[in-house]
Amino acid sequence: MVFNLVVDGINVEFGSSRVLENVEIALRSGEVLAIIGPNGSGKTTLLKCISKAITPKSGEIIVYGRPIGEYSNSEYSKRVSAMLPQWPSGFSMKSYEIVLMGCRNQTKGIWWEGDRELQIVSTALEILNAIDLYDKDFETLSSGEQRKVLLAKSLAQRTGIILLDEPVAYLDMKHKLEVMTVLRALADMGKTILVTLHEIDLALKYCDKVVILSHGRVVAAGKPKQVITSELVSKVYGVEVAVKWDEETDYPLILPKKGQAVKGELSCLI
Amino acid sequence: MNHRKKDKRLRLALYITTLSIFLSAAIITSITIGSLQLSPYAVFESIINPRSDAVTRSIVLGYRIPRVLFASLTGFVLGVSGGVIQTLTRNPLSDPYITGMSSGAALGAAVAFVTPRFPYFAVPAMAFIGGLSMLLLTIFISKKAGAGSMGFILAGIAVGTFASALLMLVISISSEKAHGILYWLFGSFSTSTWRDLQIVLAVSLPALLFMLYNARDLNILLLGEEHAAQLGIDSKRLWLLMLLSSSLAVSSCVSFCGIIGFIGLVAPHMVRLIVGSDNRFVLPLGGFTGALLMVIADDIVRSPINPIAETPIGSVTSMIGVPFFVYLLIKRGKSFGI
Repeated sequence: MVFNLVVDGINVEFGSSRVLENVEIALRSGEVLAIIGPNGSGKTTLLKCISKAITPKSGEIIVYGRPIGEYSNSEYSKRVSAMLPQWPSGFSMKSYEIVLMGCRNQTKGIWWEGDRELQIVSTALEILNAIDLYDKDFETLSSGEQRKVLLAKSLAQRTGIILLDEPVAYLDMKHKLEVMTVLRALADMGKTILVTLHEIDLALKYCDKVVILSHGRVVAAGKPKQVITSELVSKVYGVEVAVKWDEETDYPLILPKKGQAVKGELSCLI
Repeated sequence: MNHRKKDKRLRLALYITTLSIFLSAAIITSITIGSLQLSPYAVFESIINPRSDAVTRSIVLGYRIPRVLFASLTGFVLGVSGGVIQTLTRNPLSDPYITGMSSGAALGAAVAFVTPRFPYFAVPAMAFIGGLSMLLLTIFISKKAGAGSMGFILAGIAVGTFASALLMLVISISSEKAHGILYWLFGSFSTSTWRDLQIVLAVSLPALLFMLYNARDLNILLLGEEHAAQLGIDSKRLWLLMLLSSSLAVSSCVSFCGIIGFIGLVAPHMVRLIVGSDNRFVLPLGGFTGALLMVIADDIVRSPINPIAETPIGSVTSMIGVPFFVYLLIKRGKSFGI
């Protein structure tokens, strides 16, 4: 019953607004946790706290038995990798150079990249079916391709805990399934993975645990099939839905029951 | 993928060799030209033969060689530091002077000029102190502002403007010495000695080595503090140490030769055009390119075909640098990135 990652009642405030309130998570090796919730519910903030980019106002985060404040950046980068949003742009770099940066935690102080590093880089891109991006300029890639490169960078860090902020955003269906399959397989080999997702069906299909956030609070947590119910999703997202499981394809379905009406004076924009 | 690593090493070695050959040629040319034209043979003879013509020997060994070496070193320092500062501020328009350092150095030098009975050596010393203190002020303000690289650039502009205002004041109350101050401001290698060279080398060499050693981590710092920290870099510390190293190296040069614009801005960009933005290439090659540009600029200053004797070198580098910079800006447009 050893938890790799424990988030113990953290609170985060930006100015006077509460972004996270008493959030608790506990994860073991081999588990994939999906964090779902509407826009602005605090998913990304939660990942940023665990990646040490934001320090919570109160509460504690414990990684491999130590509070994260005790780790130096160098030590922490060997335990936790993160794919954070808002990748900076405006300079030219090849995709493999970005993936290679993931290896920094294993090769401190080495000036030229070695064979081992380059092998890790190729493998990370290969398993994501993105090896053809190797020599391409990162800036010229599509949003979906950039996601894959950044994901490969996180995998190249070879950490026990992986945090991914919307790893399947901008990806088409095939690539979404591909990425989730890779994450599932990595977890089965012992990694601990946290992903934020907008796709509730992927959470149901691929994840061991789910945390549903709404306005910074955990409104439900547990096994996806038990937690993700029609009532809860309808309440949290404010859309009437039915959650079903299709026996033929063994895949979940999230079905909106009725369309949304447009609020406000539309004629103003015509 | 084995070949890639060797490719890179080989490529860097090749570029450095090529630039070294150009630089050596420029240095030799520089020693031969001046008010007394010498043949390369006469230069060679005066170096190795202690019984050769005494006048030639004193010109070559006592004057021209220290001058050209000092120019090379300054160019190298400006080229490397320019690349570093552009990465640290994540702004392609940055140069080593964006930190408020140049105005501070100029202010320090001006104060030394107008103070009665200050020894000659006070000018570089005061320039150095003025430059570093304005840099520290900029760092202090930007930390208080906490707005990242943009906050740093704005703080640098504020501090630089304030120091310039004080400089104007000093110049205006010292009308008879204004010429000396202005001459120093434009920059010149005409007074460079072996001793100057030794002092600047002692200060800037450790700083240069530190910057080159950390070139690979500097690449990651380009992604911003948050991402760099997440990849295992002590980004705040590295940022500060890199800034201090580059400023220390630049201010040691500036305090002797005055402010020389545009080399630090242009040299790294010239290199990036050819090799991309990997700092393991940009920093060393930017250094060699900076040195080469500086020696050529100094050759133009000293050349007998130049009608104005001893043109300020700062105006030569800017006159070469600005058109090139404008060309880059127009040609590369949006992709004019780091």
